[in-house]
Amino acid sequence: MKTTVLVVDDSLTVRQQVTAVLAAAGYDVVEACDGLAGLDALRACPGISMILCDVNMPRMDGLEFLEKLKGDSCCTAPVVMLTTNGTPDLIARAKRAGARGWIVKPFQARLLVGAVRRIVGDLAKSIAT
Amino acid sequence: MAGRDETPEQGDETRNELQIQPTSARLTENAMRGKSARKRLTGILAVCLRELMDELGVEPAWLPESRSRVELSEILAASVGFDGENLRGTFTLTGHPRVFTRLYPFAMEHAQPDLVDWAKELANQTIGRFKNRIFAYGLALSVSVPQSIPAEQLRVARTRKRIKIPVAIGIDDMSLDTWLELDIGPGFKLAEQPVSVNEPALPERSLVLFLEADNTQ
Repeated sequence: MKTTVLVVDDSLTVRQQVTAVLAAAGYDVVEACDGLAGLDALRACPGISMILCDVNMPRMDGLEFLEKLKGDSCCTAPVVMLTTNGTPDLIARAKRAGARGWIVKPFQARLLVGAVRRIVGDLAKSIAT
Repeated sequence: MAGRDETPEQGDETRNELQIQPTSARLTENAMRGKSARKRLTGILAVCLRELMDELGVEPAWLPESRSRVELSEILAASVGFDGENLRGTFTLTGHPRVFTRLYPFAMEHAQPDLVDWAKELANQTIGRFKNRIFAYGLALSVSVPQSIPAEQLRVARTRKRIKIPVAIGIDDMSLDTWLELDIGPGFKLAEQPVSVNEPALPERSLVLFLEADNTQ
C-alpha cells in the first residue's frame, strides 16, 4: 500500500508542484487549501502518514493548524512546515507545537523527497518497535 | 544551528537537528552601506528578485522603465502586504501571462498552470525572501496572504505619504513590472548592514528536520 502525504497550501501551483514530486517518488497525495480544509482532509482520510503544511494561509494558518493537531490525540501524523518564511521566532513556535521540520520555499525536489522518506521511515520504525 | 551540506538520508542519528543550507544563498549587500533606508530597502528587494529569477532559470535585465506594451485587460497582477515596526508596505508584480508562463519552473505537459495563482505565489516568494533578508538588518515583518488584483483596479496609489519604488525586469523580450510601496514611520530604523543575531533566518531552499520534537512551552 502506498504511503499518503497530506499537502496543505493555499497556492494551487505549490500543491501541484509538491504533488508532482511526491507522486514521482511513489507517494499518494491528498491536497487541502488551508488549515481548516486540512483538518477536514485528516478526518476524511485517516490513513495519512505525514503532512506538509504552509504557514501563511487564509481562514486557518499553518501554525494554528499545527496547534489544533497537537490538542487532537486522534492525529499523530508528523508535520513538516513548507513556507517562504525562515525567521527563528516562527520556527521555534512550530517546533514547540510539535512540527518535525521546516523547509523554506522554493523547495528542492531531492531534499523534499529525502525529508518525507526520513520522516515516514522514522514513523515506520517507531511503529515496528 | 550550524549549517550542514547533506541530505536527510545521510544524517547523523545522534544529532537532534539536521540542517541543509545552500552555500550561495547569502549575498553580500556591501554596496548598500551609507545609503538611505529607502535605497537599502530597494537594494534588498533587488537582491531578492535577482535570486528568485536565478532560481527560476532566467537571466533578468534591469530596465529603466517598463517595456510592457500590452492591453491593461491582458495583465496579471498580484500583491502582498507587509507590516513591521514603523514600516508598512505592499509589494505588487504585474506582467503579461507569457511572463508568468516563462517563469513557471515545471514542465506543463501534465497540467496547465493557474497563472493567477502562480503570480500570487511569485509575489509571496519575493516578499518572503525580503522578510528573511531584512531580518538580518534588525527588522521583523509580518506578511499578509497574497492577493490577485483585477486589471481594472490596477493603479499606483497617488498619495504623498507612500513611497513608490518601481523595479522593471526584462525577461527575454518581455517585462515583469514590480513595485514596492512603503509607508515609513518617523521612528523607522534599519541597520546599515546585516547585524549579528543569535539565530539568523533560514535561507530559501533550506531544510531543517527536528529529530526530537520540542515539547517545552
